[in-house]
Amino acid sequence: MQKVKEGIMHALFLICACVSILAVVLICVYLLASGVPAIGEIGVTDFLFGTKWKPSSGYYGIFPMIIGSILVTGIAVVIGVPIGILCAVFMSHYCPKKLYRFVKPAINLLAGIPSIVYGFFGLVVIVPIMKELFGGSGKSLLTAGILLGIMILPTVIKTTESSLNAVPKSYYEGALALGATHERSVFFASLPAAKSGILAAIILGVGRAIGETMAVILVAGNQTVIPKSITSGIRTMTSNIVMEMGYAGGLHREALIATGVVLFVFILIINLCFSALKRRKD
Amino acid sequence: MTDAPTAAMTNEKKTTAPENYINRVTLGARLKQYARSPLSLILMILVMLAAIFSVGMLIFIIAYILINGVPHLTAEQFDWNYTTENVSMMPAMINTLIMTALTLVIAVPIGVFAAVYLVEYAKRGNKLVKIIRVTTETLSGIPSIVFGLFGYLMFNISFGWGFSMMAGVITLAMMILPLIIRTTEEALLAVPDSYREGSFGLGAGKMRTVFRVILPTAVPGIMSGVILSIGRIVGESAALIFTSGSGHSIPGSLVGSGSSAATLTVHMYILSNEGLHVNEAFASAVVLLALTFLINLVSDLIERRIAKKKG
Amino acid sequence: MTTRKITLSAAALLMVAALAGCSGNTSSTSSTSSSAAEAGSSAADTSAADSSAADSTASDSTASKLDTDITVVSREDGSGTRGAFVELMGIEQQNEAGEKEDMTRGDAEISNSTNGVMMSVAGNVDAIGYISLGSLNDTVKALDVNGVECSVADIKSGDYVVARPFNVCYQQAKLDGNAAAKDLIAFIESDDGQKIIADNGYIAIDSTGAYAPSGVTGAISLNGSTSVGPIMEKLCEAYKALNPDVSIDIQQTGSGAGITSATEGTCDIGMSSRELKQEELDAGLTEMKIADDGIAVIVNLENPIENITSDEVMKIYTGEINNWSELG
Repeated sequence: MQKVKEGIMHALFLICACVSILAVVLICVYLLASGVPAIGEIGVTDFLFGTKWKPSSGYYGIFPMIIGSILVTGIAVVIGVPIGILCAVFMSHYCPKKLYRFVKPAINLLAGIPSIVYGFFGLVVIVPIMKELFGGSGKSLLTAGILLGIMILPTVIKTTESSLNAVPKSYYEGALALGATHERSVFFASLPAAKSGILAAIILGVGRAIGETMAVILVAGNQTVIPKSITSGIRTMTSNIVMEMGYAGGLHREALIATGVVLFVFILIINLCFSALKRRKD
Repeated sequence: MTDAPTAAMTNEKKTTAPENYINRVTLGARLKQYARSPLSLILMILVMLAAIFSVGMLIFIIAYILINGVPHLTAEQFDWNYTTENVSMMPAMINTLIMTALTLVIAVPIGVFAAVYLVEYAKRGNKLVKIIRVTTETLSGIPSIVFGLFGYLMFNISFGWGFSMMAGVITLAMMILPLIIRTTEEALLAVPDSYREGSFGLGAGKMRTVFRVILPTAVPGIMSGVILSIGRIVGESAALIFTSGSGHSIPGSLVGSGSSAATLTVHMYILSNEGLHVNEAFASAVVLLALTFLINLVSDLIERRIAKKKG
Repeated sequence: MTTRKITLSAAALLMVAALAGCSGNTSSTSSTSSSAAEAGSSAADTSAADSSAADSTASDSTASKLDTDITVVSREDGSGTRGAFVELMGIEQQNEAGEKEDMTRGDAEISNSTNGVMMSVAGNVDAIGYISLGSLNDTVKALDVNGVECSVADIKSGDYVVARPFNVCYQQAKLDGNAAAKDLIAFIESDDGQKIIADNGYIAIDSTGAYAPSGVTGAISLNGSTSVGPIMEKLCEAYKALNPDVSIDIQQTGSGAGITSATEGTCDIGMSSRELKQEELDAGLTEMKIADDGIAVIVNLENPIENITSDEVMKIYTGEINNWSELG
């Protein structure tokens, strides 16, 4: 009897563990089943590399959106990662305990603010600044990148900080004992030792930035043209889906789902990099 | 910005507190060091600037929400029923509560059991375990809009549920599953092996050990995962707009016609859309912010308790 | 040594950027606060100016005109507001293939909500956009089109050209099977329903007389335009007050989605803020107008322009006119 019970529980645990496999499979099946036929109908090259997106006239090229997503993510990383790493250094090696009790929840709160609120903030605060500095409408690649850079800060800070804290204290103390300043010890002994953690932070940041929707939609301008400069507007794949899903029917809707498929593939690639990195660490 | 150096100075005084370092370094010695090594000085300034930027940004955003939202918080926004006159956020708050509860009811047992399997039952190097880990990681990386698309295709269209609360709940449950699995795994791994050995030694079976010894010990860790998930659910919008829709009232059923339910975040998104109720949208943002703050506070408390137990 | 130089310059750059950000920030916040303060007064000014605009616009607008590039703000492809706007303004033109194509310039800023357009225009002196008249508030300024003010009276008389219908659509068979849905439509068409429409700044159509509650029960699901949604909510509230046993579910997803789901039968009544296309009618839908709505062409409050012709609007949106100074 006992054995049967144990067996049943074992099976139950196993089934629960397999739910995540099931979930990923279901997502793949549903997205591919509704997205791939559309890609076939439009034509793979016309869809992926077409530069004209005018669903009402039958043009479905998402190349500008792919470029937009990549560029925005790139700028977000360039802005968010250095600040995030420096802030993590501050938290693990500079911050006095009393201040830490305030800073740590602050960073957590920054992570918890809904993205729509970030979007409003960007639209009312960052967009006018950008307009003043660079002219144009202020809604641009750069604006979206900066806003996303701020949004990925908590992710980068948290991951980097925990990997910095995992570095043995002896690294830092050894450097200090050799006569290095506090900064040199931190930046040239502890930080390099946390390299893989920092790389993980970057990849997580990229994942968050490329998948962000509600904030970008408000500050990017959403033009479906390949940006000529850093101050011209762009549309990302995510905002393309949210903007037009409500209206779309037929091939248009399938093309939007196909956009989701492309996004999904991007995320898969990023995840593969992440797990490859983890394996190397182990 | 002009007060940055002074702020840095005071910080630096604090960092030389005796509990942090083996050697007491006086401010003078510290300054002399910086004079000798400008690189260190620059790095120090950069670190301080980054910290000030991050925290400053948060204060800025919070101030922005409060200034725009607090003046528009009125008692009638907490009426039980939504009408176009009072624009009440109460139904949305209750919807958020119901959906959070349902999501947790679905996701927590599955997530915890999955973690139990991974930690307690699976053999090392098992191929299945590898696949489970990869898929869990994939799941945690999928953007919410893709979840939304999927939920819409599967539940709203294929299952014919229409915009329904249940569609949103299951989509959310899938989203938070990896988070629960990961935090539970960590909590289980932190349970000392001696507990297991003791339990086995007393003649308890594996199942008994798991339920009576290991899981109770891991409860605080699991709780912190649950709290993080609640935060994620409350802040979610992109995945819900296409699944549970924009219904302004508390639905009578979970699926089918009239079961659409907007959470507070979606409610805020809809209010802001047509430009008719932007002030009320900011008022909901204030409530949302307060909620987020509360959730963080609780998760902080739990984390501190875990740390105390360990220490 | 080189690393030191790099770090030094990087530090300098960061400092400059931070300072620039701060200064830009302070100046902009001060300007926004001042414009907010002005908002009330200048809104009053414009309404006062409007009455005298007809005779003085010619001299006024030439005296003070912006000399900046126009930021064109549009709605997303598929929006009912955009569909009606491009059709009425002649932005929808024949392409080489002889098909009608929306020629809105590719670099036009796109917002996916009325509020997005208003916020963009309110925060940008050079911007022009268009929104539903029912959503217009004093954060932006509505232009006279061809010398006619965008007002309920002028839309009703047909003098203001940029108006579009609010429609509902349904499958006749499905509607006949749902007494409550049929009764709701009767209510909307009645004097009581049309009064609600007029009270909320939309343009009522000819009503069919008084409505008497018939005590129906049942559930109605509506889906569609985000522009029609707010007024439909008001109508349904009033209807529910008269027929408490009817439950109503309104989804605001978009004109296209509303029409699609009415066709597929997943909702009882679809809402659309544009005329249905022939192929949509051919799919078995019946269209019914419930109100008219004006589309206001809006600019920033600080923009001195008061009047614009529909030809100029067309040229701005197709990219022929790029600068405010090129306007007549």
